[in-house]
Amino acid sequence: MNATRRDFLKVSAGAVAATSAVSANSNEASSSIASGRSGATPAGDAGNMIYRRFGRTDVHISAVGVGGHHLGDVKTLDEAVQLVHEAVDAGITFFDNAWEYYNGKTETILGRALRDGRREKVFLMTKVCTHGRSGKLAMQMLEDSLRRYQTDHLDLWQIHGIVYDNDPELAYAKGGVLEAFDRAKKEGKVRFVGFTGHKDPAFHLKMLELGYPFDSVQMPLNPFDASFHSFEKQVLPEVNRRGMAALGMKSMGGTAWGIKAGVVQAEEMLRYAMSLPVTTTICGMDSLDVLHQNLRVARGFQPMTESEMEALRARCAPTAADGRFEPYKVSLRYDNPMTRMPHGFPFDHTQREVTEMLEKADGPWLVPETTPETSRR
Amino acid sequence: MTDQRLQNEQSQATPEVERRNFIQAGLASAAAVLGTSVLPSPIVSASVPPQMRNGGADQIPRRPLGKTGEKVSIIGVGGYHLGTVQSSDLAIRLVQEAVDAGVTFFDNAWEYNDHRSEEWMGLGLQGRRDKVFLMSKVCTHGRDKKIAMEQLEESLKRLGTDHLDLWQIHEVIYENDPDLHFAKGGVVEALDEAKKQGKVRFVGFTGHKSPAIHLKMLAHDYPFDTVQMPLNCFDATYRSFEQQVLPELQRRGIAALGMKSLGGDGQPVQYGVVKAEEALRYAMSLPVATTICGVDSLDVLHQNVGIARGFKPMPPQEMQALRERCRPSSGDGHLELFKTTKKYDGSVGREQHGYPTSAELPI
Repeated sequence: MNATRRDFLKVSAGAVAATSAVSANSNEASSSIASGRSGATPAGDAGNMIYRRFGRTDVHISAVGVGGHHLGDVKTLDEAVQLVHEAVDAGITFFDNAWEYYNGKTETILGRALRDGRREKVFLMTKVCTHGRSGKLAMQMLEDSLRRYQTDHLDLWQIHGIVYDNDPELAYAKGGVLEAFDRAKKEGKVRFVGFTGHKDPAFHLKMLELGYPFDSVQMPLNPFDASFHSFEKQVLPEVNRRGMAALGMKSMGGTAWGIKAGVVQAEEMLRYAMSLPVTTTICGMDSLDVLHQNLRVARGFQPMTESEMEALRARCAPTAADGRFEPYKVSLRYDNPMTRMPHGFPFDHTQREVTEMLEKADGPWLVPETTPETSRR
Repeated sequence: MTDQRLQNEQSQATPEVERRNFIQAGLASAAAVLGTSVLPSPIVSASVPPQMRNGGADQIPRRPLGKTGEKVSIIGVGGYHLGTVQSSDLAIRLVQEAVDAGVTFFDNAWEYNDHRSEEWMGLGLQGRRDKVFLMSKVCTHGRDKKIAMEQLEESLKRLGTDHLDLWQIHEVIYENDPDLHFAKGGVVEALDEAKKQGKVRFVGFTGHKSPAIHLKMLAHDYPFDTVQMPLNCFDATYRSFEQQVLPELQRRGIAALGMKSLGGDGQPVQYGVVKAEEALRYAMSLPVATTICGVDSLDVLHQNVGIARGFKPMPPQEMQALRERCRPSSGDGHLELFKTTKKYDGSVGREQHGYPTSAELPI
């Protein structure tokens, strides 16, 4: 937790002498050090946004990021575009996404929202969805993503969904997705690379142990996680030790069931996640209301004290112990349909994403190969 | 890709349907192959089953049940599937024929099929109770001893008996289950109480999720007589009960009861990764007291009985070859959905642990 405070102070509040941990000075401090081809350049009323250093690079990104999947849940395209516009104008620079979300719809939405001069203001990420298949397929997915984004490069490209036990070895296999990382970097199509997953700290640790120089690692971080198959306890220290950027997600537990059950409140959940030693906390936002709430928390953000965090962890521990409020760790619910498919896991036909996918008989999910080695099944 | 999609769609069928399809498709040939086998050969190492009593070619072999002094048939009738057949008449006939064929091990649980499984098994055992080793499971899922004892009375009543031969804690699958079961006033105290009252002879526990949770139960050093778990050729190289739990049971002299020999839903057979007969032979060749099989038709019963009568353990080299062949497809757990998804987690346990219903969180 010391690292939290340290990073936070170093990046955003170094110039804070008096009143608030997030004074206008934080903007000044961050924008003066933000750099890079499409680094963070806050605009509009971004004065109170917090920026943190992305790993050991000289890039800084906003401490709150917009999650890509939820863009597919916004009621209309217009509102989704407006959400992105308002987020950028409020100083949010980190945008998450994945090739497979809603058959590519969320990348298309984000591309449209960023095309009129906002692309250069953000740190744009998407994820590649080979799920064990080849680097060649990864490069095709990259071209899809760039086309949908209407850009010539990504700031960050991550391997999506390291969620099954053998995903690390498949990612590192000869001809696998990591070879695409090298090539895409060399061709200037991506600046940084990383991976993500929501299932098990052991899989993340395996990815790290195998040694590829990732720039970032994304993981679920919230006070329930702290007591159950904990990324916070097992992975976060290792990521920081290696100087990689830690990206937090699922600050509400994915489903927010813990909030609905009355165990925790949304604001303290977000504050807890942001108080960990992470570069950014990616938040799903499916309406302008949610964006505004998140912006409120981010602008007024002061890190929780260690004793506050410990008290919250203790409050969550009894219900965390059987995983009930972290369904992404114990069920398939958060494994995207295109994540399950190459591994042969069943679909859940009650999910809208699945029905939409199957409606498109020639949709992008019909990728030209199934497994890297045909003998998988 | 089309095949892949089809498989995914097929996998939405219920486990019962899949199991039945598999057995009808696969076990006929298994019976044909195995029916010609000679009598079981002597046991030569710890990696093969406990010594079997050879009762002749028309008898189902029996094995010792751990240190209890009991012997049970090498296949058992699973209670869950019994409660899924179309009528009580069929269920009764299945039980009667199984007993008459020499099956002695009968599995059940208080919660299966809204108690129908116990009721129908009880009807089938009328006049045959003394010929079988009768098990049921208690379903407190973290609740107290009092509820356990009430469930025991209900199980005894439905099964039409004054005692169980084996009473197991059902579905130890949530990480905090061991803590809850061993808590003061918890279900483990009920096991003691029921033994003292003479209502149960032996006790154990079962679960399909994680070897670590089983080991956590065992770490309490409670004198369990039996432990039930998934054992199959995919488990051998994936979050393995065979590798992690089975040796510990052998060391302690606790009887191992195998289940899910076909991966729970028979999909490995549908996918063509493994043949039914080799999957079943593999499971039965492990050092277990019995292998519990879902039986939901007379055909399936007859096939299973045929296999059991002619059973010959798989040689160690053949078992190792099968493990290696299964390894590439076992590595992500998609053939053992009971370990990796919510699909097999029962509704009573979900409710006690604050989880959504199967309708809301199917997998």
